[in-house]
Amino acid sequence: MQTNPKSNGLFPTILASTVHDIKNSLGTLLELVRQTAAKQDGQSAELNQLEFEAARINHSLMQLLVMYKVDSQKFSLDIEECPVIDIVDEAIHQQARLAGLHNIDLQVDCVADEMCYCDNAIISNSLAAVLNNALRYTHKTILIVVAEEDGYLTIAIEDDGEGYPPHFLAADLNDTAELDWVSGNTGLGLYFVSVMAGLHKNAGKSGFVQIDNESRLGGARFKLFLP
Amino acid sequence: MSFSLAGKSILIVEDNPVFRRAMRDMLYSLQAVTVVEADNGIAAINAMSKSSFDIVLCDYNLGVGKNGQQVLEEARYRSLIDYRCVFVLISAEQTTSAVLGVMDSKPDEYLTKPFNAQQLMSRLTRNFARKEFMASIDKALAGGDLSKATQLCDALLLSADKKMHLHLLKMRAELAISAGDFDKARQIYHEVLEHRELPWARLGLGVIDFQNNNIEEAIAGFQSLVADNPMLMECYDWLGKAYEALDQYNDVESVLQQALQLSPQSILRQKKLAEAADKNGNLETAEKAYKSVVKLGKHSVHRSCSDFSGLAKLYAKTNAADNALKTLEEMRKEYSNHPEAELRASTVEADVYKTLGNEELSQKALLKAVEICSRLGNKAPRDLQLEVVKTCFLSDEHDKAEEILYDLIHAHIDDEQFLNDLRRMQSGIGMDNHSEILIQKTKQALIATNNKGVALYKQGKFSEALELFEQAILTMPDNKTIIVNMLKIMIHDLKVNEFCEEKNQRIKALINKAKQIGVDQHKLGILQMEYAKLRQSQTAKA
Repeated sequence: MQTNPKSNGLFPTILASTVHDIKNSLGTLLELVRQTAAKQDGQSAELNQLEFEAARINHSLMQLLVMYKVDSQKFSLDIEECPVIDIVDEAIHQQARLAGLHNIDLQVDCVADEMCYCDNAIISNSLAAVLNNALRYTHKTILIVVAEEDGYLTIAIEDDGEGYPPHFLAADLNDTAELDWVSGNTGLGLYFVSVMAGLHKNAGKSGFVQIDNESRLGGARFKLFLP
Repeated sequence: MSFSLAGKSILIVEDNPVFRRAMRDMLYSLQAVTVVEADNGIAAINAMSKSSFDIVLCDYNLGVGKNGQQVLEEARYRSLIDYRCVFVLISAEQTTSAVLGVMDSKPDEYLTKPFNAQQLMSRLTRNFARKEFMASIDKALAGGDLSKATQLCDALLLSADKKMHLHLLKMRAELAISAGDFDKARQIYHEVLEHRELPWARLGLGVIDFQNNNIEEAIAGFQSLVADNPMLMECYDWLGKAYEALDQYNDVESVLQQALQLSPQSILRQKKLAEAADKNGNLETAEKAYKSVVKLGKHSVHRSCSDFSGLAKLYAKTNAADNALKTLEEMRKEYSNHPEAELRASTVEADVYKTLGNEELSQKALLKAVEICSRLGNKAPRDLQLEVVKTCFLSDEHDKAEEILYDLIHAHIDDEQFLNDLRRMQSGIGMDNHSEILIQKTKQALIATNNKGVALYKQGKFSEALELFEQAILTMPDNKTIIVNMLKIMIHDLKVNEFCEEKNQRIKALINKAKQIGVDQHKLGILQMEYAKLRQSQTAKA
């Protein structure tokens, strides 16, 4: 008997169907949480936690699927010119309910008609995952700053939490061959966004990410550089 | 947010009741009033045929029946939604967009599940803003007024809207290509590429090469583009077209295989693969592809009776007569009272019964085919007429075959690709170069007529030239070269002679005719633009 069946090429289909199915369940779950929350007058900590976890699963799944496609060369970015504010807004809207639930003050510093070239769906989803993390670790405020630096467009997400733990700060996020630091949700999220940033290329430059604890608010600072 | 859904009519297409309810609640919370729900593709199509919607929110995965992409294709194909409608395709997977990417049938927006009210609202706001900005151009285009659309586009480009600038440039370049103004389009693409390497601009340059008949260059461009952007599905389609133009059907087959591995759901691509593999004699690939086509066609507006007859023919080739007849039976069930389907079925049957040794049934089927074919005349697809010719030859009905061939060659004498198909068919049945003399004679006659017509035109004898072409068209119906020449003369006539309504009507009718018989859009575009300019100056004078 064959114990190790050879790949029959169906794995991609199965993976996509599985993810689709989990996402449907997740959607139903989220919807039921919302409906239950609406019925209750006050906010319930358990329900909030439930919603937060569901959003996390959702991000992880999306990232898993994209990484799988990158790995099997079935992925290419869809680069378009797009207002940066639309990308930031999309990330914020994805996390809007959580920010509201935690009473977080979300501030955005971005010029209205600043444009950038990127795969906007991929970038806003990556940022949403980072923002999801920031929402978890910040105390009161999160600041999103869009700027230009050395010919790159940068989007920074800063918080007033405890900052990144030392093993993250010591890691080279852009060396995707060295993956010691990739563990837990924060690590996976950072890995994903750094791979996606790296796929963005222009005029000999590649995108990358940087993290430190130099936030103006005193906590962690994440910065995405797009060429 | 200032934008509200009040006053917008919205259709939700979703099979899952929990999501449907969630979406409905979401829409009501955004002040929506008119919300219609459909839980499957057919219900969605019915709803769209009954009333017009400003917004359609359609899930991709609708369980059994049509999927969301098929709903969109059918809605656009049957004009159930117009340029003002925002169609949002919702899916669980973020990368769906790339996988589904089909020329001409992209939704206005993709949304990934799960999403919340804020996300939906900001997407809709953005889309409505964009549609409003582009409305005048889209309206002109929907009315077929290329020249007006171009003018409006130029005017908008002068406005300083940074957000829309690139979008307008892309549109302007596409308009230029439709109008045959390749220099302008090329200039725009180069300008865009100077700032940023964008696949659509690179693709545009390839398309221009293709239209200018620089096929080798076009292929080189498309190849390097797919190497960098493996998910740029349109590029595979263009590569296929380019190889087809060079008659390299092995390459057509392999490029379509590659595309279908990435995106197996596209019926039109499967169809092309089936035809190419069939031509190449790779019957196994062709059979698999035809089966997919029939299966995908079940819920697609792009289905056709030729899908079934293609599969049946293939079975006939592989000596699976039973399967062939069964497929034809299925086809008759799906297409009752459909002369083209009946013609296809009879043609294949004549062949199948012959191999089964049943001369009587074979003869009967052939007679039926010939009868329908002559009844349909030019309305029968030309590839099908070729099939009938082939079957006639094989059944020793040479007179019938020659009769149809004569008309086919006269009608399509300036279409080298078709003539190659014809030659291939004849070689396939051991009749190499059978029609070569007729083809050459017809070509020479066309050239002679053209030269004579152009000479008359140069002498300013417009009506004589037109008269000549009118005569020629009787013997070469639907000949593109002649129609285009007639248009050129009539437009020139308007320039130098007086303007009258009768001439106008004639030009319009000819333009329609040219569209019908498939004159290349860019060749026709140049004439349309010239004519539009003339009309404008006429109205200005009046």
